Amino acid sequence: MMRRNDSTCVSTFRIFRATAIYAWVGAVIGFTSANAGDMGTEAQRQAGKQLYNSKCSQCHGETGDGKGDGAEYFRPTPRIFTSGTFKIRTTESGELPTDADLRTVIKRGMPYTGMPAWPKFSDQDLMNLVYYIKTFNSDFADSTNKPKSIELPKAPAMTQESITRGKQLFAENKCLDCHGKLGRGDGESGPTLKDDWKNPIRPADLTKRWTYRGGSTREDIYRTFMTGLSGTPMPSYASSVAEKDRWPLVDYVYSLSPGDQPGYATMVLAEFSPTPLDISKGKALFATAKPAVFPVVGQVVEDKRNFFPGVNAVEARSMYDAENVAVLLTWHDMSAQKTGSNTPVTVIRPVGDTTHPIYSDAIALQIPAKNPDGVGKPYFLFGDKRNAVDLWFADLVKGQPQLFVGKGSGNVSPAEGAVSMRSGYQDGEWWVVFSRKRQDGKHMPFDEGTFVPVAFSVWDGFNAETGGNRGVTSWYSIYLKPSHTESPIVPAGKQAAACILIEAGVIWIMRRRVHGQAKVSPAEKAKI
Amino acid sequence: MNLWVCIPAVLALIGLRFLKTHILGWLAAWWICVFVILKFGMVPPMPSSIIGLYVAILTSVLLLYLTSDTERMSQAGNFLMRFFGERKFAPYLWTAAVLIPLLAGTNAYLAASKEVEAPASGRTIHPAPPGEMTFKGKKIDLIKASNPFRELETKDPTAFETHVAAGRKVYYQNCVFCHGDNMEGDGIFAYGYDPLPANFQDPTTIGMLQESYLFWRIAKGGPGLPEESTPWSSAMPAWEKFVSEDDIWNVILFLYRFTGQKPRAQEKAE
Repeated sequence: MMRRNDSTCVSTFRIFRATAIYAWVGAVIGFTSANAGDMGTEAQRQAGKQLYNSKCSQCHGETGDGKGDGAEYFRPTPRIFTSGTFKIRTTESGELPTDADLRTVIKRGMPYTGMPAWPKFSDQDLMNLVYYIKTFNSDFADSTNKPKSIELPKAPAMTQESITRGKQLFAENKCLDCHGKLGRGDGESGPTLKDDWKNPIRPADLTKRWTYRGGSTREDIYRTFMTGLSGTPMPSYASSVAEKDRWPLVDYVYSLSPGDQPGYATMVLAEFSPTPLDISKGKALFATAKPAVFPVVGQVVEDKRNFFPGVNAVEARSMYDAENVAVLLTWHDMSAQKTGSNTPVTVIRPVGDTTHPIYSDAIALQIPAKNPDGVGKPYFLFGDKRNAVDLWFADLVKGQPQLFVGKGSGNVSPAEGAVSMRSGYQDGEWWVVFSRKRQDGKHMPFDEGTFVPVAFSVWDGFNAETGGNRGVTSWYSIYLKPSHTESPIVPAGKQAAACILIEAGVIWIMRRRVHGQAKVSPAEKAKI
Repeated sequence: MNLWVCIPAVLALIGLRFLKTHILGWLAAWWICVFVILKFGMVPPMPSSIIGLYVAILTSVLLLYLTSDTERMSQAGNFLMRFFGERKFAPYLWTAAVLIPLLAGTNAYLAASKEVEAPASGRTIHPAPPGEMTFKGKKIDLIKASNPFRELETKDPTAFETHVAAGRKVYYQNCVFCHGDNMEGDGIFAYGYDPLPANFQDPTTIGMLQESYLFWRIAKGGPGLPEESTPWSSAMPAWEKFVSEDDIWNVILFLYRFTGQKPRAQEKAE
């Protein structure tokens, strides 16, 4: 009956209380109704087992121990079903989930984790699977311990007052200790957090609600507050937050994200600045530039693969003036690693070397070294033998960028060039500004009205990323919107004028013919 | 194909057969119906350049139809003469004269004020494989090569199962991140890579290919693709660097087992 949840004293107390209540209720009704946990029929469990062994055991393990073949490649690690601890539930903190809870999680999956959504499973499949999963932990069969959902009301309308009140509550309830002042997951205790199995765990970046494991609606957030995420340091606030304060807190957290979807882009639009760009202004210089967010995923293609990158997106903005082009890159990082050093070069460390070097945070902007001939581009991971790439590499310990030429992942070497840089870290966000002459005769030119291919690599030092072990993006592009473009009125006017001219001609010719025919006398017409 | 658009359009044309229509109305109906099918009836939508090409062909065919018969020609000619000459048609004439430049102008305005979009690059998804390849120094004839473990399926089913199980392990330690738990090309990193990883549940992927083709694609990965398949953007690793020859054949067995598909049979040499 007892399951451990040592995240807070509050929730431990709750379990004791819940245990006491259940024991009492059990004592009263236990004799009158032998209401055993619903474990389904043997046939249902067998059907569930078959499905489980085909689709689930590769990560969760055939015995539900969370040690399948793929387990070590995923963070968060696959659920250990034998533990009876489940994150997403409608039941009180520390309790088992209901059957419906388990079915919902399987059907919806957990975004940005190794747990995919299984929308194709029928209700029958889901039911069978749940019956089988419940056999892994004996508590599910315990008749005195039937999981019961707490009351989860429908969300009321969201108001600005509610959000403002929520902001205050966010601070009062120490949410920012883990989730950070602006909710970017950069709270002070973030880097020290561990789950019940002593695995490091990261506080959610609340500004990206599409990554919330339990779903992104306001009801989902409410449920997480009320039930906590068992097995993680996220406690339940059911007893510590008054009823009238719950939706304000939900609304504030909800308001931290720009939308339901990340809105990934495919290009950066750089507009012309008539005044010379002064990159010493830092981020502020780009206040009017259009942001473009690109997904960052683990580099799992070349050696030193990275299965759990610390960064999942990078935002880019760009501007240009008569001489220079400047790019601002920002990304969320739970803890700035401002000591140590880093490099894009994959350093093979000698066997038996057990030292743990400190790797700083770093980012690289990648463009082709030369204008690609034809449609071809260099290989997206640091180029190839035939088509090299330029890397503008910022080791964020250093104030200066380092330039590299990449001719493949195993062939990255320092290079010459003049790129300037500014950088800073605040409230869980790194920003870096790069600037370079648009044309220098030696490198890829940034011409007006052209698309320059661009890709990014991000190293999270806290996650010990270096060299090939990094987060990467595909090729995207920076488009320099021409400084002088004609208004769309001009082509519209030209088109209309052309039409009128043709019309006038047609009408004139037709009218002439009509009149010509009218002049022919009926007598003559009859002859024809 | 969007049947909600195509069926009404085709029905309208069939209905036209039974009506006594003026030749110009008939031509307009044909032109509009075919255009609607091309523009709105196709899923995925056709590129506007292709639609333009078809519409040009359509227009010339309809004109040919019109001019191939004197009766049709005179019917059309008479109407045009009346339209331009008779007083009762004057309001229509002048409305058309104003509307046409207005529409053309608006169209040009919208086209010019469209946001720029990143250039899309077309690519060949299943390029022709080379005749032979080298795998860690060993020459493999891709035309004759077959999965060495396939024959165990009938000869020694127990041994076959161990190979499938080995393939399963390879898949969930290497391929799952992009190709996904259910092999639908939607692994956790899929959204960050362009082109998207292949969906093996789709019957037009591995079901249409021979096992030797899969071996080549797995062993040589993105960098081994020919130019027309944009080798510079494919995130498919050259797996010869990470897994053994046997494991590639094993994982191929598992791909077909999990998706329930059958590899395309080897063409018999004549």
